[in-house]
Amino acid sequence: MLYREAGQFKTSYAADQAIFPIRQDQIAIGLMAAVAVLGVPALANEYFLETIFVPFLVFAMAALGLNILTGYCGQLSLGTGGFMACGAFFSYKLATAFPELHIVIVFLLAGLGTAGVGVLFGLPSLRIKGFYLAVATLAAQFFLVWMFNKFGWWTNYSSSGVISAPPREVLPGLFITGTEAGPVTKYLFLLVFVALLALVAKNLVRSRIGRTWMAIRDMDIAAEIIGIRPLWAKLSAFAVSSFYIGIAGALWAFVYTGSVEALAFEINRSFQVLFMIIIGGLGSILGSFLGAAFIVLLPILLNNGMLAIDPTISTALVSHIEFMIFGALIVFFLIVEPHGLARLWQIAKEKLRLWPFPY
Amino acid sequence: MDAETRTEAAVDARRPGPARAIGEVLLEVKDVTLRFGGVRALSGVSFDIRRGEIRAIIGPNGAGKSSMLNVINGFYQPQEGQITFKGEVLQKMRPHFAAKNGIARTFQNIALFKGMSTLDNVMTGRMLKMHSTWFEQMLYMGRAKREEIEHRRFCEEIIDFLEIQAHRHTPVGKLPYGLQKRVELARALAAEPEILLLDEPMAGMNVEEKEDMCRFILDVNDEFGTTIALIEHDMGVVMDISDRVVVLDYGRKLADGTPDAVRANQDVIDAYLGVSH
Ligand SMILES: Nc1ncnc2c1ncn2[C@@H]1O[C@H](COP(=O)(O)OP(=O)(O)OP(=O)(O)O)[C@@H](O)[C@H]1O
Ligand SMILES: [Mg+2]
Repeated sequence: MLYREAGQFKTSYAADQAIFPIRQDQIAIGLMAAVAVLGVPALANEYFLETIFVPFLVFAMAALGLNILTGYCGQLSLGTGGFMACGAFFSYKLATAFPELHIVIVFLLAGLGTAGVGVLFGLPSLRIKGFYLAVATLAAQFFLVWMFNKFGWWTNYSSSGVISAPPREVLPGLFITGTEAGPVTKYLFLLVFVALLALVAKNLVRSRIGRTWMAIRDMDIAAEIIGIRPLWAKLSAFAVSSFYIGIAGALWAFVYTGSVEALAFEINRSFQVLFMIIIGGLGSILGSFLGAAFIVLLPILLNNGMLAIDPTISTALVSHIEFMIFGALIVFFLIVEPHGLARLWQIAKEKLRLWPFPY
Repeated sequence: MDAETRTEAAVDARRPGPARAIGEVLLEVKDVTLRFGGVRALSGVSFDIRRGEIRAIIGPNGAGKSSMLNVINGFYQPQEGQITFKGEVLQKMRPHFAAKNGIARTFQNIALFKGMSTLDNVMTGRMLKMHSTWFEQMLYMGRAKREEIEHRRFCEEIIDFLEIQAHRHTPVGKLPYGLQKRVELARALAAEPEILLLDEPMAGMNVEEKEDMCRFILDVNDEFGTTIALIEHDMGVVMDISDRVVVLDYGRKLADGTPDAVRANQDVIDAYLGVSH
């Protein structure tokens, strides 16, 4: 089928403003949804679901959050790990203190709590920008992880080193956390939950609020003169971003790994999510997903690929090569294509639209 | 027909029109002094802008023209003086207050949102007119969706008016300079301002672009009745389109009056010819 919009005339602004205005895109999205809901659980084995699809969705959520703050609002943050930890520990406290509370409510409340923390640590952004703001968020990162490690209250004074997420069901009989939770249930729950929140994010960025964020990102002086309040715009970006990142942290601890530990949310995690949005595309919802997929898949492919070539290769060497490839890619995307994979995808579509007659 | 006679023709055609009634004082600055450390950007400057007029601010480089506009829309806070806007006396203007009360502007060095499309830039200019809640925007339902469509319609009218339809979905960073200036004007117009401050809207343009811009400015003034204060270096343009001119030099007001009076003023001639003071 040819990728064309010829013959599809938009007769209203509403049609032009749809998320997928071109019919082929709508069909493609429908197909993708069908594959994601029906195909993946049927075809992928448990190992693939647990090691690829579940972490991909959790990371996509974190990347969405960071992209709102950094990609859309232009505020560089290295505190992602710390905010994820907030989400994880807030959920743990809520889930254990109120065992009756539905787990989705727990996640959302943990997200709201993290949003509050995000606003608090976002306050310096009113005075400082760029590199200096990144340093301030770094302080948040270290402080938060330290705090969760330091005070036993967060883990209900548990004596064992590993705190397991309590088992909870999303619908009667369908466990998504705890040992009884199966990978298919987890995957489908994450798919629906992340897709819905991604839709909300998309709606925000295409509405007034999103334009407010982008205006602050692109030219804060002009934004102010139009009547945008920088204070409000930046703090709201911190809030929404932290909400998503907090939920990602909760999903990480409860659904993906099943254990709540601050170690999972060290500074490395912050950089990992930052790399996702750089590679995937700053200021793009799609890019958050592409970046997450890329960074989840690359190590696995690399590992298997190199083992296939040389079965005696050491794991240390593999991980070194992985680092080098990541480094090179980050530099490439930062310099050549700051809009990342999402932009490359868009260029490919534009080429396809004109193919085979480029002029 | 060369550029000058053409704009003159346009001016002559519109001069006596009844729509061009110049009204009461809309904005008045009084004894405004603005210092940056030791530099006096403005010293005791006073003048007024009447409703419906095109008011030019001219002067040599560094005279304090841009600073004056920055004071008017609250971007700089003067150390002394006051601003009266629509009868309200303000010690200091604030950018948000100015925007809310109908003051819009463009910048000398284009200050567009470079990563956003033309349409999004113009829509952003209209943001104070949008009132949907967070919740509605999250779901893109109800008022949020209605507003997007309603205001899109309005913004499209401005885009048509300024003849930038072909570029509505282009990121403005990719547009040529002249078009960027136009998008910036579109963004300012989207707020439906009562008074429009234009900082060198024609700087760096070629003759055709200047002509277009002149025509747009006159049309805005004519059709929407928008009051315009503009800074411009091109004397031909200033003399053609403005009703009154204020001349600044070294932060002081040198002259104030009709284009003809200002042109004949000896101080102004000296300042422009560089006679030492
Ligand atoms: N933010 C600032 N900080 C320090 N000095 C400033 C600032 N803004 C303006 N000035 C100084 O104020 C004086 C007037 O500057 P202004 O930009 O208002 O001049 P102008 O008349 O617009 O000149 P031009 O024709 O070059 O645009 C200059 O001496 C300038 O250096
Ligand atoms: Mg200037």
